[in-house]
Amino acid sequence: MKTKRTIEEINEKIKKGEATVVTAEEMTEIVKSQGVEVAARDVDVVTTGTFGAMCSSGVFLNFGHSDPPIKIENLTLNGVEAYHGNAAVDAYLGATKMHPEKRFEYGGGHVIEDLVSGKEVELIATAYGTDCYPRKSVRTTITIEDLNQAILCNPRNAYQRYNAATNGRDELIYTYMGKLLPNFGNATYSGSGELNPLTNDPDYETIGVGTRIFLGGGIGYVTGSGTQHDPRTGFGTLMVQGDLKSMNPRFLRGGSFTNYGTTLYVGLGIPIPILNEELAKKTGISDEEIKTNLLDYGVPRRSRPIMKDTDYAELKSGKITLRDRAIPVTALSSLKLARDVASTLKRWIEEGKFLLTSPQERLPDSGALKPMKISKETIFAQNIMIPAVTCTADEDIDTVARRIVEQNVNHVVVVTPAGTLSGIVTSFDVTRAVALRERKLSSIMTRQVVTASPDEPVESCARKMKKHDISALPVIDAQKNILGIVTSERISTLFGEYQ
Amino acid sequence: MKARLRFDKQRTAEPIISTVILKTKAPINILRAEVDESTGEVLIEIPDEKAESTLAAFKQMGVSIQVGAFIEISRQRCIDCGHCITICPVEAISAEKDLTVNIDLEKCVNCGACVDCCPTRAISMLQ
Repeated sequence: MKTKRTIEEINEKIKKGEATVVTAEEMTEIVKSQGVEVAARDVDVVTTGTFGAMCSSGVFLNFGHSDPPIKIENLTLNGVEAYHGNAAVDAYLGATKMHPEKRFEYGGGHVIEDLVSGKEVELIATAYGTDCYPRKSVRTTITIEDLNQAILCNPRNAYQRYNAATNGRDELIYTYMGKLLPNFGNATYSGSGELNPLTNDPDYETIGVGTRIFLGGGIGYVTGSGTQHDPRTGFGTLMVQGDLKSMNPRFLRGGSFTNYGTTLYVGLGIPIPILNEELAKKTGISDEEIKTNLLDYGVPRRSRPIMKDTDYAELKSGKITLRDRAIPVTALSSLKLARDVASTLKRWIEEGKFLLTSPQERLPDSGALKPMKISKETIFAQNIMIPAVTCTADEDIDTVARRIVEQNVNHVVVVTPAGTLSGIVTSFDVTRAVALRERKLSSIMTRQVVTASPDEPVESCARKMKKHDISALPVIDAQKNILGIVTSERISTLFGEYQ
Repeated sequence: MKARLRFDKQRTAEPIISTVILKTKAPINILRAEVDESTGEVLIEIPDEKAESTLAAFKQMGVSIQVGAFIEISRQRCIDCGHCITICPVEAISAEKDLTVNIDLEKCVNCGACVDCCPTRAISMLQ
């Protein structure tokens, strides 16, 4: 006979301490070794867990009224600006808002961690003063105890799965996917794979509006699908909220991504009632079955090239094979803490402290992620490059100097006989060569050339020039053929045209 | 054993390490060297049996010496994500079976590459 049970029946068992609860990792083992039928018969609840950087996190805070009262206009907490566009003493502090001086080292996520840890937080607020709220400034220290409400409210958490990242550029880059070494030197990923909440309930049968969850070590609720919810491609997300006062800094941690920003690490776990065999089968999903893509984050575009199809089993193995080379890969999220979330939730249910809820409404199973509508045309290197003036390495410096004057340029691209890139010479290099009586071009040319690809956005070209303190980038294709050159003069002209 | 040598500005031009090698005949392995406007800092490895005489020779030449661990992971801050494992150039960082991340101080060359990759700033260089 096929197993069927209701959430009410499961809750009765939980109250009596008789429910069988396993984590999603344990369920995968049970389904594999004993089959779906036995798993469905024996298991009442599967607990999931994830612990990752969730930038779309923040807290609503209510400070209570001072005497005389103030209608806050500008507000900082430990120096981090909170958004105040609500009522007089309400504010929203976002995880990614950075401290103006400490930048990547301290931001909203860290203030949230400090609050949850019970630490004192400095509040500075200013106002314009009104007839009913005359006070114009306040400076005080508060702890979470002093707040009327502190509600963690995250519009997009618990991505069903996520892309893995690597870097094909010949330079180190810092991204929201971590520090990525040049030339595919390492890779990172995020997510807990077979432990992930939505992955274990991919049709959103049990997770919906009103589902009670583990959030940051306390109790929270799913309030709906999250922003950018994209279920058709397996990138579902959740909007969640919970009482920050019930949470625990072990599962809510400020995070720093160098040269990118601050964030909040959130521990989130959802219990999945095994109502039928189908759910037993779905919660039996293994890392091998959860596919994702390894993308080249070295390409600064919205659609980054897919380097390889992969799955969470390969990602969790520590090495990923790319072009016959095994490159080290690890998570930015914590599998260890994700396991801790799932097993803590399991214990709560076993001890009768946590009852399951039926969703009040199902999450949408459609809706797609649209790109941002850009009213102004995006400009790429190929739109602003000019023809490159070239020379070969065996030409003498006088000839190159004449070419610079005749063509009125500052950069001459050195090419191989086949026409591919071999170096670059600037007018300053030539001037210096004359001063030092250097005759050979090969001894003054720069061989490590910073280049642009034709579809690279102009902002990215400008960043590269600033970073390397240079004023032009040869534009090349994958075979290193010279397509043109982007110069800082050209970018300045462009900027002028747009004013 | 590993030792960190610090030279002041006046000494950065002198062949101190070679002098010590010639004097002690210790096969010193230079793991990392960094020289800037004001100081020079070199991380060396010395065979244990030559450690005492070598360090004494450096001290005699006015070099300040530190031995022991130069980097540490705060267990309280670390979330064991493992990102640092992929960054370490000498494979000194690894995860145990229970996923706890550890630095092998024997292998570490004190380069600091892992410090700014750590999302919870759990790794610090000891000064």
